[in-house]
Amino acid sequence: MVDEGTRKTLSNIPLLKTKAGPRDKELWVERLKEEYQSLIKYVQNNKAADNDWFRLESNKEGTKWFGKCWCIHDLLKYEFDVEFDIPVTYPTTAPEIALPELDGKTAKMYRGGKICLSDHFKPLWARNVPKFGIGHAMALGLGPWLAVEIPDLIAKGVITYKEKTG
Amino acid sequence: MADWEEVKRLAADFQKVQLSSTTQRLSERNCIEIVSWLLEHKMIDLIFTSDGKEYLTPSQLISEIKGELYDNGGRVNLVELSKSLGVDLGHINAHINDILKGQKDIQSVLGQLIDSSYITRIAGEINEKLSQQGQINVSDLTIQYDLPADFLQQILEKNLGKLIFGKQDQNDPKVFFTESFIARSKAKIRGALAGLTRPTPVASILSHIGMSEKLFFSLFDQTSMFGSLTGRMAGAQYIPNVYARSQSEWVNNFYKQNGYLEFDALTRLGISDYKAYIKKQLANEEILLLNSCVISKNILERVDADIDECISSKSYVDLQSNLPSVFNEKDLQAILDSVLTGQKYQQTIVVDTYVISKSFIDNLSKNCDELVKEKAKRIVESGKYQQHQISLQTPQVKSQKFEDLDEKVDKREERRKKAAGGKSGGGTQGRETKTKSTKKQSKPTSKGNDDDTDILEKKTSLEVVTADDIKTVIQNTLEDEGLDDLIEPLTEYLLPRLNEQGLEIAANIYATTVADRTANRRQTHNELQNKLNALVGDVRLFEKGVKLLSNDLQPLLIKYLLKTLCTDIVTEILNYVAAEQNSSIVTDNFNNDQRLKFVNDLPAEFKGPLLPLVKSLTGQNIDDFMTAVEDGLSSCNRTIILNHKHQLLEQLNQCEDLALVLHLATLVIFTTATQCMLHASGRHVAGLLAFLKQYLAEEQYAELTSYHDFVTLMLSAGSEAENAKEKLKEKVTTIKNIANEFKKPGVEKS
Repeated sequence: MVDEGTRKTLSNIPLLKTKAGPRDKELWVERLKEEYQSLIKYVQNNKAADNDWFRLESNKEGTKWFGKCWCIHDLLKYEFDVEFDIPVTYPTTAPEIALPELDGKTAKMYRGGKICLSDHFKPLWARNVPKFGIGHAMALGLGPWLAVEIPDLIAKGVITYKEKTG
Repeated sequence: MADWEEVKRLAADFQKVQLSSTTQRLSERNCIEIVSWLLEHKMIDLIFTSDGKEYLTPSQLISEIKGELYDNGGRVNLVELSKSLGVDLGHINAHINDILKGQKDIQSVLGQLIDSSYITRIAGEINEKLSQQGQINVSDLTIQYDLPADFLQQILEKNLGKLIFGKQDQNDPKVFFTESFIARSKAKIRGALAGLTRPTPVASILSHIGMSEKLFFSLFDQTSMFGSLTGRMAGAQYIPNVYARSQSEWVNNFYKQNGYLEFDALTRLGISDYKAYIKKQLANEEILLLNSCVISKNILERVDADIDECISSKSYVDLQSNLPSVFNEKDLQAILDSVLTGQKYQQTIVVDTYVISKSFIDNLSKNCDELVKEKAKRIVESGKYQQHQISLQTPQVKSQKFEDLDEKVDKREERRKKAAGGKSGGGTQGRETKTKSTKKQSKPTSKGNDDDTDILEKKTSLEVVTADDIKTVIQNTLEDEGLDDLIEPLTEYLLPRLNEQGLEIAANIYATTVADRTANRRQTHNELQNKLNALVGDVRLFEKGVKLLSNDLQPLLIKYLLKTLCTDIVTEILNYVAAEQNSSIVTDNFNNDQRLKFVNDLPAEFKGPLLPLVKSLTGQNIDDFMTAVEDGLSSCNRTIILNHKHQLLEQLNQCEDLALVLHLATLVIFTTATQCMLHASGRHVAGLLAFLKQYLAEEQYAELTSYHDFVTLMLSAGSEAENAKEKLKEKVTTIKNIANEFKKPGVEKS
């Protein structure tokens, strides 16, 4: 279910402690702080391992997140927009990460470009509430999804390489 | 709102972190890619380790292999090497040749690298082992060092005399030994063999001295010889010379001393194939192989002489006591078979182990003679002999049986008158003589003894003497001789012979008594005749007297007469008939019914006339009785007539007088034809011939009349008398024949 590399990556992401959603005022701040700290660590790790694969930022309240993610295939870099909201019941409910560009191009996706994560990711998340945060969602959810789907989509010709300057 | 500030700060930090440049690091992936690109383009030469994570240069591999070899004491397995270096076996194999090329003291043997230091070391070890064990086998070393035999052989041969001090076996190059070991082994073998005095299997010798079979056999020839081996195989036996010598000495001595050799004794000495051994050992002796031993000719000769002496001295010899005791019964039998030949066999009898001369037995049986005679006499007197004969003759002619029993009845009387009687018997005796001759051959059944006597088995037997009788007679003699054991078998042997003898004696006695008896019978007949005549005369006279009396008295008196005198007459007649019929019934006290029954049981020839006679006794008339008596008597006279005829025939056959021949012939024919006797003189012959004409065949009659004519001519003493005499002489035999052959008138007539 989870390969050795992912596990290793996962163990390097700091776990969260506070169980609070966006509606929990004080505690949400606390949670948000932990989210950021965790993400910083994750990104630092990725950079150190020459494995940087996304950019993320959030609105002021930390309820809406957006950014980019990319993966390299045959020495070409494919880049996609990524966005998601923090659900009200967070962290009990995992965030639904969406790649709007790819909406309708693959079956492994819900309406609005939300990637299909229910099979493995959701039970795993449920077991780890409230220790998992956004960083975990990226590492466990989007990362593996990209690694599997993108080479497939490229092979099918659904996505083509676009020269980008980013 | 410090918290929100902090969040903002963190968000800014996050952005900062994300925007900071990624460290430019050559990842593992890239490295592999680069190296493989370089390898692909043959720019470098590298060897992958088996897990694929490391690279080695070939020179590094070679130095590592050498290091391992050194570490392992000069011997390393290539497979082990590939495991410990983490390099694929293929790479190692590929670079082995480089190593071997570079260094001459390293060898590759069966997937192993071995250098000279190792070889030197194992050579040293082998030498040590050799000096310890005395001998060493390459195949054992192969197991110990797990190296090929060829390689080890090479090492051994190369270092022989340098590092390894020993000798190579000439017969088997794989075996090496030291001189001292050989000397030791030889000494061991010598010691073991010298100590042995009896045949021993090589295997047990080897187990005692702890030596291999091969070594033993190769060294055996080099050790001084104390004996010989039966073979070169594992099951061979060692036979010490001293044993073989003493064995044959013992055999020879024993044989020379005793004249025989027991197979058992040979087996005890360990000679299993004794027959072959005897043939070899006693090749130039004359021997006889028996069941359990061999014997020399001397013994046979001795036995022969013993038996000769026994025959000549009319005694016996006990082989068991005369011969060595080892012989069993079969042996004795075999000896006897070879010694008792021809004449000797006939002159001796073998009982158990005794050889008894026939003369000895004869002496014994002579002792019994008296007994036998007495017994024979007794059985004839008691009638057993006759019964025995009858039982033998039962299916034969009835009349003979009558005679035999008849003889028996009045035998005592006859014996009393034996002296008076001559041999005046008729034809009946002739027949009896014949029966006797058949009886002589019948011998009593032998009692199942297996004597060589050829006794004919007969169903019926008459025991003249019993076994016990004989036993008591011979017992004394045999006990004196110390032959108690032989009483039983000798009795069995003698019994049939003595019985036979007894039967012969009995037959003789019987013959004499029969002769006496016949004469006697005629006398009784005469007596009877006289008595009856007197009685009948009396009856007639009494009847005359009765008839004088009145009619009232007459029947009573007649009845009385019938009951007394007449009954006496009938009784006499019946007694006689009973005697004739061989029944021992005496009718003196019979009442009328019994008489009737008796008469009814008689044959028809007697029954016819006698039945009315007996019935007339109960009648009222003396005349009836008288006629019945006449009839009855006539039937009784048959025997007398028969005797008369035989007498006449005898006279006729002996007669030389020509005229008397005719006279006698005529009388014989008359008697035969009419069953009546006739008293006539020569003058009545012509008349008689005329009467007989009806009974005779024509040619017979013609012969008789012509003969008669010649007789009258002769008697007339005329001129033709001589001539007639000649003719008569020619015809005498014819006439005699006619008289002899004339049988029954009935046959002629019909």
